[in-house]
Amino acid sequence: MRVFEGLYYVKRNTAMHRLDPRAKLVYVLCITILSTAVFHTALPMIMLFISVIPLAVEGRVLRRLLSTLRGGAMLAVFIFVFNFIGRLWNIGFVSPSSPEFLEALMPSLAMALRFLTLIAAFSVFFLTTSPDDFAQALVQMRFPYDYALTFTMAMRFIPTLAREAQIVADAQKSRGLELEKGGFMQRIRNYIPILVPLIVSSFRRAETIADAMESRAFGASKKRSFLYMLKFKLSDTLFSAICIAITAAIIWLRLSSFLPP
Amino acid sequence: MIEVQDLWFRYPESDYVLKGISLKVPRQSYVAILGENGAGKTTLVKHFNGLLKPTRGKVLVCGLDTREHSVASLARRVGLVFQNPDHQLFANTVYEEVAFALKNFSFPEKEVKRRVEAILAELELDRYRDRSPFLLSMGERKRVALASVLCYEPDVLVLDEPTTGQDHKQKEKLAELLQRLVDKGKTVVVVTHDVEFVADHIPISIILSRGQIRGQGKTLELLSNEDLLAETFLFPPQLTAILWKLSKLGLHPAPSVEEVVEAMLQARRQSP
Repeated sequence: MRVFEGLYYVKRNTAMHRLDPRAKLVYVLCITILSTAVFHTALPMIMLFISVIPLAVEGRVLRRLLSTLRGGAMLAVFIFVFNFIGRLWNIGFVSPSSPEFLEALMPSLAMALRFLTLIAAFSVFFLTTSPDDFAQALVQMRFPYDYALTFTMAMRFIPTLAREAQIVADAQKSRGLELEKGGFMQRIRNYIPILVPLIVSSFRRAETIADAMESRAFGASKKRSFLYMLKFKLSDTLFSAICIAITAAIIWLRLSSFLPP
Repeated sequence: MIEVQDLWFRYPESDYVLKGISLKVPRQSYVAILGENGAGKTTLVKHFNGLLKPTRGKVLVCGLDTREHSVASLARRVGLVFQNPDHQLFANTVYEEVAFALKNFSFPEKEVKRRVEAILAELELDRYRDRSPFLLSMGERKRVALASVLCYEPDVLVLDEPTTGQDHKQKEKLAELLQRLVDKGKTVVVVTHDVEFVADHIPISIILSRGQIRGQGKTLELLSNEDLLAETFLFPPQLTAILWKLSKLGLHPAPSVEEVVEAMLQARRQSP
């Protein structure tokens, strides 16, 4: 559940928070392009990862970001281990001192770091952008309103769902369910009594919400009006321009082989 | 049976929800825990089977310290029926749902069948035996949840808000069932804010407010304590409320039925 903490918006008044969500999306997009399409080795990944930190500090969400990363670390370790074993499998298990071993190790490390970099960038985005603003940005980017709303509602219900999972687990434990009992398959099966009520009650809730929304005339008129409209300010233009310029420069340097892959 | 000694509890990163609770629920007693929303009632009873462990203080169940025993082993003695049945129903049929706890506690197959069928008959659920619990009404789902705990006959039965969503007839049936359990030697604890139900059926009450015990003792005495009820945001039972109003018209505190009727008639004559 800790991974999700990095998705909750933290209300503060910093330059990062005041930036238009669309400007921040430009930044996230730049990081995504650089970490997935442009670079493939560990060193540039580390540089990209480090570049996220100042923004988190500016937005005063560094602690939250770190706890997200701690939650994501487990998955990163998985990614690393599976990649590494996969590569070793292909080349045949070699001695740790051979160059082939290093060739299997470094890209696996890069994969795990790429994952952490992406989590960090997205986390800073979500930590500093209120779900409402994000939905509004999506709408103003001509996304259908229904989808934007679905997104904000999904975000809104993450804490509710987490709380409910706890209650369900308590209820089943009270009837003698022991999650840690049995072998690997049995342990997975032990979660069925927790997952089923959670899913069923989510469906029930979804239906109730849909009814409640319709009874408040949701979808009555095709063209909605909005109380707040986002404005792309000078600072937003500047921030986006800088992001794009740096990204373009890096790509150019990479294409002319001044930077490692 | 259950002994709580100076229990303090808080969830991580929050204030204390329970502040120095001490109480004893003796064997074969029938107790109500009353209190306003957020008073800490559910948090308190979650300590009775070890789902929550005290931040400070101690909870003993049948002499066992809850901090040193697993929920599963304590749950065998203390059955906890949750407020919302939808938080626990998961099986394909009512039968399987009720059999779940019995299987967890490794009852033999034959015994499982016997017990499930007996409890389904007792709670008038036998005709739904092979139905999906999700297709039942709220009141019926609540009874399935109750059956799924009653079936393994725990020594102590704790029910969280059992009367919500039940019509009058079902409430009366529930009261009868609980009384039968007490007569059979079980201990029953009912968490509720249904004052009428408590006044009519449960002899002993504990009143909780803002994480502290504000009153403990005979239900009728507690529920006729005007100051206590006002402080703890509880409404008196209707009958008590009527007597209070009548006493303002000069009726003494322990009237006979005739005196009450006379006072009521008099009140009616006075009002326009």
